[in-house]
Amino acid sequence: MELSQLIQNLLNGLAIGSVYAIFALGYTLVFSILGIINFAHGAVFTLGAYFTYTLVVGQFENNGLLRGINLFPDGSPFAGNPWAFALATLIGAAVAGVVAVLIERLAFRPMRARGADPLLALVSSLGVALVIVNLIQLLVGAEIYNFPSNAYGEVRPALSFELGGRTVIVRTVQLIIFGVSLVMLAVLGYVIGRTKVGKALRAVAESPGTASLLGISVDRFILITFFLSGFLGGLAGTLVGTAFGVAGPYFGVTYGLKGLAVIVLGGLGSIPGAVVGGLVIGLAEAFVPGDYSAYKDAVAFALLFLILLVRPQGLLGRAQIQKV
Amino acid sequence: MTEFLAQYGFLIVTLVQAGLLGLSLYFPLQAGQLSLASPGFYAVGGYVAAILLTNPAFLGLRESLGNAVFPLSWLAAALICGVLGVVVGVPALRLRGIYLALATIAFVEILRVVSLNLAITGGAVGIFGIPQAFGFQDRWQYIFLFGPLLLLTLLFARQVERSRVGRAFRAIREDELAADAMGVPPTRYKVLAFVIGAVLAGIVGAMSAPFLNTWNAKQGTFDASIAILAFVLIGGSRNIWGPVVGGALLTAVPELLRFLADWRLVINGLVLVVASLYLPQGIVGALQGGRRPAPPRRPPSVPVVVEAKGETP
Repeated sequence: MELSQLIQNLLNGLAIGSVYAIFALGYTLVFSILGIINFAHGAVFTLGAYFTYTLVVGQFENNGLLRGINLFPDGSPFAGNPWAFALATLIGAAVAGVVAVLIERLAFRPMRARGADPLLALVSSLGVALVIVNLIQLLVGAEIYNFPSNAYGEVRPALSFELGGRTVIVRTVQLIIFGVSLVMLAVLGYVIGRTKVGKALRAVAESPGTASLLGISVDRFILITFFLSGFLGGLAGTLVGTAFGVAGPYFGVTYGLKGLAVIVLGGLGSIPGAVVGGLVIGLAEAFVPGDYSAYKDAVAFALLFLILLVRPQGLLGRAQIQKV
Repeated sequence: MTEFLAQYGFLIVTLVQAGLLGLSLYFPLQAGQLSLASPGFYAVGGYVAAILLTNPAFLGLRESLGNAVFPLSWLAAALICGVLGVVVGVPALRLRGIYLALATIAFVEILRVVSLNLAITGGAVGIFGIPQAFGFQDRWQYIFLFGPLLLLTLLFARQVERSRVGRAFRAIREDELAADAMGVPPTRYKVLAFVIGAVLAGIVGAMSAPFLNTWNAKQGTFDASIAILAFVLIGGSRNIWGPVVGGALLTAVPELLRFLADWRLVINGLVLVVASLYLPQGIVGALQGGRRPAPPRRPPSVPVVVEAKGETP
């Protein structure tokens, strides 16, 4: 492989891998606290993209119950420059976070209160995903919505440079994705590692029983976890949506599944694991040769299967000692 | 009667088929193994039958066998899925709980992508124009295939449960380490339970390919894994009737809600949420009544941590 090709693949892989990472962080946070996998996370991802789109564009064309409603007759205040777009993205992600909190209240908390089988929580969260996905379809239809090209105003179109006679192209969107993901990871790392909230979260993840004895309100921190999880999922949705367009209500399904591969690869419940897993899968996909690109979607699952056989606790997970 | 069958025959056969797929997941669950691989084996079984029934390479075989080619396709699907079940099962069953579930999801997804890209499976278009089994004129006649299969499977499941094997399954489900200590080899029985489910799903697939007339990569997807899991959990995972009732009911719900038009899938999702909240033992478990659900092993405030992340060597 030529150097220019190698660098191009690396850049593509890092960009998509960093989105996988922040998306998967949402999964793994919930898993580390509750020990369950929230299958509605992919639907929250989709919602994040739609919320931001609504703020930036203000209306949905085509069909669905919301057709023809125009939120901003004088043009959206959230479009036109990068900062306005960033604000819309943050609001969209925050609303997705609120939805995640609602999911926990409606679908998970009642179950925890009964001490139900965690498998049922899985079915319940799938039911929620079904509801969200079909509501989206009812409200705004199944169309692909593309963020308008001027959504974030005048940003230099792309970075490109010559290398060994070939051009390496970095799309602006890729730079934004990479930058935002990096910032998010830094912020999250700071919150979890250095702040009091983070300390409490880690305590709850370690042992909810002990944490509640120490005066930590476990339920409150579960809500915070779900908000963070939804925020990260929604943010990832907007980032991917900006890069590829929001491809209908089922937009998040593939990401939901790949996110699973990411967190298992890195180690279920491990935060650095989610980052490593995301980057590994993003890079692995970027390096699939063009002739085999049809098999790209299988890469994540092949890696997942392999890692489970070789090292079930994942790359950075802790092996759990079996109790006899 | 014929009118009724003409109108509802397809649905009735689909309900029975759903019950069978539910049972294919029920067997591994008997041995405590949460496997979501059923749609994968179902898809493979369907492809085996579809290829056998349409591929020019098997023209001579079809002509010489006549209708016997259909039972042959079930047998071939059962064999291939059985072997595949062992190949996937032996390594995958080292995993437990959610890890096994995720590995089987990966298996189903890989199969889907591969079948989407192979020439022999017809790529994205799939295989179409699959001839009707035994020259059936109407779809409802497939009840003559799926009905007996369901009966046989239920009888088989009952016999298994009463046998030594069934007791071994339950012992492993309740406590694998204790079962191992008592001389029940867990790996052998876990693979056995997994393979029984795989073979069943494969046969159902082989019967479904002519029934649906066409077969493509959409037949075995993650959505199907989840739907089948929901059949078992909503129906009840501790009784052979659970998967059957759950499969029939959850397949019927969208049909019964047809009058709600666009809202029916939303309601379908709500049904899943409400049922998993209020029927923790499944419908059959609730009907059996009386027996209170077993108290949670840990205090409710403590989340259930997935046990044993892979075996320590």
